[in-house]
Amino acid sequence: MTTTDRRDMTGTPVPGTGKLPLEGLRILDITVVWAGPYGTMHLADWGAEVIRIESIKHFATSTRGQMARPPLEFVRLRNTGMGYVDDEPGERPWNRQAIFNTHSRNKLSVTMDLSSPEGQEALERLVAQADGFLENNVAISMERFGITWERLSAINPRLIMVRMPAFGIEGPYKNYRTWGNHMEALAGHPLLRSYPDEDPSRGPSGVPSDAAGGVGGALAFIMGLRHRNKTGKGILIEAPTAENFVPFLGDFVMDYSMNGRVYTQLGNGHPFLAPHNVYKCAGDERWITIACRSDDEFRTLCQIMGEPGLADDSRFADSLSRYQNRRALDEAISRWTAEQDARETMNRLQAAGVPAGMVLDESDVHADPHVAERNFFQEVTHPEAGTHKNPTTGFKLQNTPYEIRRHAVLLGQDNEYVYKNVMGYSDEEYQKFIDMGHVGMDYDPDVQ
Amino acid sequence: MFMPLDGVRIIDLTHYTAGPYGTRILGDYGADVIKIERPGGGDPARRIGPFYHDEPDLEKSGLFLFLNTNKRSITLDFKTEKGKQIIKELVKDADILIENFPPDVMPSAGLGYEELSQINPRLVMTSISNFGKTGPYKDWVGLDLTLYAMGGNMWGSGDPELEPLKTAGRMASFHVGYAAALASALGLTNAELRGQGENIDVSYFEVTLQSIDGRMQKLLGYQYNNQVPMRVSPGASLGLGSGIYPCLDGMFMTTAGAAQFPNMARMVGAEDILTEPGWDTVAARSRPEAAEEWEATLIPWMLERTTKEVQRACMEYGVLGGPVNTIENLMNDEDFDARGFWQTIDHPATGPLTYPGFNSRIHFEDGERPARRRAPLLGEHTVEILKEIGIEGEEVSLLRSEGVI
Repeated sequence: MTTTDRRDMTGTPVPGTGKLPLEGLRILDITVVWAGPYGTMHLADWGAEVIRIESIKHFATSTRGQMARPPLEFVRLRNTGMGYVDDEPGERPWNRQAIFNTHSRNKLSVTMDLSSPEGQEALERLVAQADGFLENNVAISMERFGITWERLSAINPRLIMVRMPAFGIEGPYKNYRTWGNHMEALAGHPLLRSYPDEDPSRGPSGVPSDAAGGVGGALAFIMGLRHRNKTGKGILIEAPTAENFVPFLGDFVMDYSMNGRVYTQLGNGHPFLAPHNVYKCAGDERWITIACRSDDEFRTLCQIMGEPGLADDSRFADSLSRYQNRRALDEAISRWTAEQDARETMNRLQAAGVPAGMVLDESDVHADPHVAERNFFQEVTHPEAGTHKNPTTGFKLQNTPYEIRRHAVLLGQDNEYVYKNVMGYSDEEYQKFIDMGHVGMDYDPDVQ
Repeated sequence: MFMPLDGVRIIDLTHYTAGPYGTRILGDYGADVIKIERPGGGDPARRIGPFYHDEPDLEKSGLFLFLNTNKRSITLDFKTEKGKQIIKELVKDADILIENFPPDVMPSAGLGYEELSQINPRLVMTSISNFGKTGPYKDWVGLDLTLYAMGGNMWGSGDPELEPLKTAGRMASFHVGYAAALASALGLTNAELRGQGENIDVSYFEVTLQSIDGRMQKLLGYQYNNQVPMRVSPGASLGLGSGIYPCLDGMFMTTAGAAQFPNMARMVGAEDILTEPGWDTVAARSRPEAAEEWEATLIPWMLERTTKEVQRACMEYGVLGGPVNTIENLMNDEDFDARGFWQTIDHPATGPLTYPGFNSRIHFEDGERPARRRAPLLGEHTVEILKEIGIEGEEVSLLRSEGVI
């Protein structure tokens, strides 16, 4: 561990509480889009001082929104629920966007211009004071600013560098720019999950890969730390999103490798269980998922449906026949659910031990009793976005209480602290960085 | 070559997918993972396909073989008095214990955190369950489907005119296992720095709620503008130039949107459009009808090219896009091959097979790359592990005859 004092957002040293596992560690963060920022979120959540390195002369695409200053038409066209507060981009749209504001809690932000020699000198000073450096840009974007392992490790031999672009920093795709969904298309996911009887172009494209890559990057940093504790030396670790994602399809890879089998368009089906599907309930867009793993569970389901005879129907009497006649079974269940309230049905089925889960939309999650009792949300006030309930963590360390210590960081919010206290510039020198246009809390007027 | 978790011992009481995936990752980083399996059948994943040549066999499950590399297997019935004593003996020297039974199982077997932390105060105990150890749903049952429906982004996945879709296979379970590995590593860091053990509660439901796969940010976004976002077709959230399109030999997914449209216009040789009214500004290109109008140019261009040609063009012009592949296409992709991602691992029941490689690549100074040990046969290391805690000879035979091992 470094001996760096922990400081609050104004730069005042705070005595370490000794509670958070990563307290006292300083991490530089040039991550973009989702996977990288989600990775450094975990490190900031658990105590590291994560400093986002940003620029007011250049807008990092798809990070603080799609554009620095999106026109209203663009903002309102979308219906992805990931937009701006009250659908108003406001004075500083980059501080009001839902995606960025979800993963950027507990972090710091400094702005610098890496395309100038002064910016490069500032970067070197910062690297000298850091424990970690995480980024997920294609290789060429980092090379342009001279950010390579050779240079950074020469400045700071104890640095742990985690590089997590989609396809890594070596190989034919090292400069292939994708988001999670395109990389997943390449890795086979959208074709596997799309609807059984429809054109695959109607299927969804999600980004579980970004979630995998982010966790992989955070874990890689902690592993690098252990390596350093043992050897006294820093290390470079690649955690490419694609290579973190493909194992999530591991059973499909194994089936191809063992049997040459290729699956496509599985939808909500299961390789051998039935029922295993989503069913429409009463109301608008109300759905419930139900699956049975045994004859007993199926018998219980039939009783709750008020059709105990179904369990003795020869088409559904055992798991193989249920699977073979799954369409007829799905129709029978759908006829029943169409008249039922989704939440009530979920509660009844679960009380009887049948796996069921309603498809919760965002408003359902916010109103869910289990979510409330587990304190999954924490109210946080953000100076430019207002007060909202923020999602916290997927796991609880019971001897180490979690809290969001700080709202999503504003662009350039910690410039003074980072330039003066971390990099050691004088007041006069700091003023020069302001005059040169490195330091600020607004993108330059010509940045789109 | 020093692996980050060399010398770290993990007692692995997990089964099926999520837990074993978490311990697989920690094993890859060098931990000594002792997998406790039920005498007789072992991890139920051994009975889940795909099987090698479709022959059901405890040693031929592809799911099990893939999830359990770099582990040692001991069979042990920890619900017997002697079995419990052996677990406690193993815990004395362990750093982490990971389990994924329903919340009441370990405490009622006398193996809860309270008891085990008495034996080893530095122990990190990681418990994975469907809904966590507390709350009204704590005893609820679930599968990847039902848990993803509740926690994940299922409501928003799919076509607006059709039903919501889950992710493929066991994707949510893998994510939960990965989160459990991260949580365990954080707990271990604290335990080593401060001598304080940890009791970790990993909730499948909450891991999916926290996922950046369209969920976490939508939970905040919902409060920002009171919208529950309806399902949209692939990539269509950004409109213009976003979707899955047919090519000569397959399909290709792109995302452009009004802001990033100029690169796509240049890629298809239509840069002139960028000066035309209706196309010259981001605001103009945000017209809802722009997406369909643009397809009249984009689709014919796609139809004249192979997916590989479109992919190369995307790389050249900085357009976001990827081929809609099968797993077979993936396994023949040039990049994964060139990087040496795939691994060939031999196993007595299947012979050598291609497995997914490491999630992360540590750049060791000498360029060395770690190897992986194949998944263990059921109980393969029982005698060896018992010997490490001083149980040998007749004692082992007795345990065997009593059905403890």
